[in-house]
Amino acid sequence: MTRKGRENLSLLLFVAPAFIVYFLFKLYPTFSGVYYSMTSWNGLSKTKQFIGFTNYIEIYSDTYFWKSMLFTSKYVIVMLLVANIIALSLAVAIESRKKAKGIFRTLFCMPNMISMIIGGYMWNFIFTKVLYYLADNWGMTIFDKSWIGNPRYAFIAIVIVSSWGIIGYLMIIYMAALQGVPVHLIESGSLDGANAWQSFFRITFPMIRHSLTICIFWTLNSMFQVFDVIYSLTGGGPGRETQSVAINIYEEAFSGNIRYGYATAKSMVLFLIVFVITIIQITVMKRKEQEL
Amino acid sequence: MSKKRRIQNLLVYTALILLLFFWLFPILMALMNSFKSNKELLTNVMALPTTLKLDNYLRTFEKMHYQRSFLNTLLLTTLGVGMMIVFSAMAGWRLCRTKTRLSQIIFALFIFSMLIPFSSIMIPLYKIILVFHIKNSLIGLSFVYAGFGVSMAIFLYHGFIKGIPFELEEAAAMDGCNKITIFYKIILPMLKPVTVAIAISNVLWVWNDFLLPLITLSDNKKYSLLLSTNILFGQYSSDWSAILSALILSAIPVIIFYAVFQRQILKGIGEGAVKG
Repeated sequence: MTRKGRENLSLLLFVAPAFIVYFLFKLYPTFSGVYYSMTSWNGLSKTKQFIGFTNYIEIYSDTYFWKSMLFTSKYVIVMLLVANIIALSLAVAIESRKKAKGIFRTLFCMPNMISMIIGGYMWNFIFTKVLYYLADNWGMTIFDKSWIGNPRYAFIAIVIVSSWGIIGYLMIIYMAALQGVPVHLIESGSLDGANAWQSFFRITFPMIRHSLTICIFWTLNSMFQVFDVIYSLTGGGPGRETQSVAINIYEEAFSGNIRYGYATAKSMVLFLIVFVITIIQITVMKRKEQEL
Repeated sequence: MSKKRRIQNLLVYTALILLLFFWLFPILMALMNSFKSNKELLTNVMALPTTLKLDNYLRTFEKMHYQRSFLNTLLLTTLGVGMMIVFSAMAGWRLCRTKTRLSQIIFALFIFSMLIPFSSIMIPLYKIILVFHIKNSLIGLSFVYAGFGVSMAIFLYHGFIKGIPFELEEAAAMDGCNKITIFYKIILPMLKPVTVAIAISNVLWVWNDFLLPLITLSDNKKYSLLLSTNILFGQYSSDWSAILSALILSAIPVIIFYAVFQRQILKGIGEGAVKG
């Protein structure tokens, strides 16, 4: 055997375990999903028929699906702004503390460690019991709202809980970037008469552009898949008012309908939309980074 | 420090502490009310518990089969992450050191699907799980987690190994060591820093994952901690004292893990190695 052949053989032996599990549980489902999305496969009949693009055509006029897509998009946009602005502000405020930096960082990041199923149920308690109590007994009437029952407030509740979960994570990324900004640049800026705002937007911000790209990418990608928070907080309700796409797909496949083929087609549509948006985001923001 | 600076400082501190209180409020409220009886809780959610009764905890510990659920989750996590690490380190090493076309193609195949999210393939994956009869099998499920995690882990190992000088392996090979010995004796020990980062990140992910167990574990003897908690919430929809103690019990392992490894976790997030 040639040297190259031997090299390749040992490569295959070492790669085999990883490749087998990867192929079975990730690569193969990715491709078979494309096929299943074109079948009538469901949980009831034993056979599945190839039906071409019929499922996709049905999706086109599936009001609930598009409603959940609209809800998810609205949620993603609000989260992009709210979570990133708060995370960056927190990062700036905490990074400049000398003594208490460590403890603030640890505690603000804690919700990120807990599963959002647990976090969501904890907040469920706050929204359905504690806030009513505060409204009735402490006169905080601003809280006297049907937080889970009214779609408008349920949306706000979901944004609050999701932000609570993700901000600590984003904050750490921003803090790591802030540490890379040389102190002498800020100092020479303030010697030249720049105030805090100017020095942040003119000096610091351009230098942490890269972390912004990462955080936006991360928020986009994870928020489009949102499931746990909504599952534990509103369950998609009232009615289907707060149903995210992931919840919609889950329900289509695993509760009630058991229409696997149709649900797979929906998940393909979700993937394509997220994929295109992410590619655009990365390309645009990378270009902006280089311009600076 | 000027007076203006000091006032500014004080304001920032006050704002941060207020915000921190809001941040920890749900956890503190859950903790405080988990000690109360249901009647006490409904009368006044803001009052401190009059006695530190552990009744709720004892009750939910039994009800959610805490011990069993905990051990199930532990098995799933250690096995899944363990396989992920060993498989990825082996693959990452050879993929990095073999400079052939085949090697490049395999590496690209691993990286290609990194952006494909779980919810997009969960149904075809469910089909495979049915075919292999690993529905309700914790060991089977840990293979699924390994399969999901290897892409990112191989990517990280590959990058790390590039920075390790090749001479050491070469010298060992001259001395007649075979590849397996070189891997265990030389490579694996050097990979320790990146292995710690990969392990921590994936332990958090598998431990906190909800959707995959939700669709694949229907036998309550196999329930993970989160599934048991979730079921309890459905069964006791208005019995908040039971639910809150279950939530606290379910959060404790992660909080301990965080307390022990927080330095590595926060460093990992900052460097982009830990997924949230």
